[in-house]
Amino acid sequence: MTGFFVAVLTVLCTTFAAVAEDRIRVGSTYDADTNSVRLDTLLRPVLSVYSIEAGTAHIAQTYLSPLHNSGAAIALGYDRSQAMAFDPSRWVMSLGFRLDGARTFNEPARNKVLWDMSLRASWSMMRRWNVGAWSFFAGGHTALDAGAQYVPANGNNPVAAKASWTIGASAAAAYHTALARKPLTLRYLAEMPLTGVFFAPEYGELYYEIYLGNHRGLVRGAWPGNFFRYSGLLSADVRLGSTILRLGYRLNISSVKASDIVCNNVGHMAVLAIASEWISLSPTRRPSPQARIISSLY
Amino acid sequence: MKALRLLLITLLALLPATLGLTGCHSVESWDNDYYGNFDALWTVVDEHYCFFREKDLDWEAVGEKYRAQISPDMDMHAFFDLCSDMLAELRDGHVNLSSWFAVSYYREWWSAYPQNFDWRLIQERYLNFDYTTAGGMSYALLDDGKVGYCYYSTFSAPVSDAFINDMFLSMRDAAGLILDLRDNGGGELTNVERIVAHFIDEPILAGYITHKTGPGHGDFSKPYPYSYDPVSAGVLWLRPVIILTNRSTFSAANNLVQVMRRLPNVVVIGDRTGGGSGAPLSSQIPCGWSVRFSASPIYDADMKLTENGIDPDLHIDMTPESIYEGHDNILDKAIELIVSLDSGTSDNYTLKSAIHQ
Repeated sequence: MTGFFVAVLTVLCTTFAAVAEDRIRVGSTYDADTNSVRLDTLLRPVLSVYSIEAGTAHIAQTYLSPLHNSGAAIALGYDRSQAMAFDPSRWVMSLGFRLDGARTFNEPARNKVLWDMSLRASWSMMRRWNVGAWSFFAGGHTALDAGAQYVPANGNNPVAAKASWTIGASAAAAYHTALARKPLTLRYLAEMPLTGVFFAPEYGELYYEIYLGNHRGLVRGAWPGNFFRYSGLLSADVRLGSTILRLGYRLNISSVKASDIVCNNVGHMAVLAIASEWISLSPTRRPSPQARIISSLY
Repeated sequence: MKALRLLLITLLALLPATLGLTGCHSVESWDNDYYGNFDALWTVVDEHYCFFREKDLDWEAVGEKYRAQISPDMDMHAFFDLCSDMLAELRDGHVNLSSWFAVSYYREWWSAYPQNFDWRLIQERYLNFDYTTAGGMSYALLDDGKVGYCYYSTFSAPVSDAFINDMFLSMRDAAGLILDLRDNGGGELTNVERIVAHFIDEPILAGYITHKTGPGHGDFSKPYPYSYDPVSAGVLWLRPVIILTNRSTFSAANNLVQVMRRLPNVVVIGDRTGGGSGAPLSSQIPCGWSVRFSASPIYDADMKLTENGIDPDLHIDMTPESIYEGHDNILDKAIELIVSLDSGTSDNYTLKSAIHQ
């Protein structure tokens, strides 16, 4: 497993080093007076996406019960993406926040509820390739996740907490076309953590023991063999004037195993989002008439 | 472009390979029939129960014995009774099977012994129904204020530092305190720490806790020593304390006795406690029933297990004569001991000596 971590870190370091060497300042101009690069001929709008998702969740958390649970899930999200300043035509970054909640019941009896709540903050950076009507993205992301699963019927162990910090791979493909003469972008975005750390108590460890001060072994190293997550978002973005309507489908798969405790969570979500691109302008500094706009996605 | 194509092809090829290799980890599942539910129940206990070795129990044999009694024609109540009988083999008051029509209990840890407690009698004959109560605690002064009496009925009700402070301030002229834990079936272990913190003036080793590290019967973690600190701001009670116990002093109440009896100013009077030193966990089986069981052993500061109870310093049973006369002779003895002490010289030596005379 150590070899795996080293390999992942090497790949990430190599990628970012290559980025530093390979950057090209598209749209920038060189100012000989100040010996600096001016970027005022380049506008990088921020794409803000506010989303609501609804669907189903299928959860198994063997610390709480050996049974599978299924039920309804909902999520709220905010995502902010922008072309990056150092090489805007090739690199984009995205910052996202997401709140997930699910109300599920034990199968097949369905007489005990399991609540699932989680909060996620993530940041990604991807290289972009434009090929005709296609855009391809590949890069990495890092994410902080925290949450809990709660079974009120379990009097002595009602909660299983979850927390992780991960670094992983991100990739996307987008196809730009039109629908009824309105710009349409179809995109598939995939994310998968490759390494990181996560919280996991031992097999029968009570949270009371943790409360008493025993924190040994609570933080584990993550790799896809013990901490597998995959998130795929298939979306269609239709531009309606200055607003963008996003419809989509998200697949979330999470399967974590530590100390013989398994936590599986599979979610299928319908996505509805409103997005817009905006530019921050200074009243004292008008953009250049030659300014070029580079969107993070469109 | 060639490099880009190569990259995309590689990514597309790697993704399904990764998904296929790692996928979701498997979780055992059972049919929702009598056999499936029985196997689920047996397996949950087999993999999580913590006292098989201490109770010298062959769980495989127990499972075979009861599984052979399952009949597809039996009704649900009979199946519940069968499962309850299997769980009773664990001889553990922390083990319950809960359905929507019944909850199973193993009662022999207290039912085979005298109850040694009558709260109504104490309220009527000792407290004259005049006492302060909150959060599971009721207290009053006895014998013209020389004796403080506190009955703590359950650890399930929250108890606050403010309430304890107020109680001890009201007892500031008493020579000693009687802490009555009879019929206290336990509850929140965090209340143990809150109470003990008012009886110590320096940190103490409270005990050791361990947990299972895997499904094997012998898979346990290294015992973790845990300590309690004195209350940071509040009233400390360092005068003599007599704890009253009976066979229904169980679980968290047993744990409080386990910690308090090591203090130099504390003695225990009454009957052996009911035990219950395994912190419980709950789980479920396919038909929707819940099962609770001991999962995490808690040892005392000498690394001794008190699952089967703690012997008092002075064993006294309530006698039929005293009950007939409207007396609680266990409480009488405790009052007598405290009153006999000169409050100016009372200390552990005096109290312990008085008990052993």
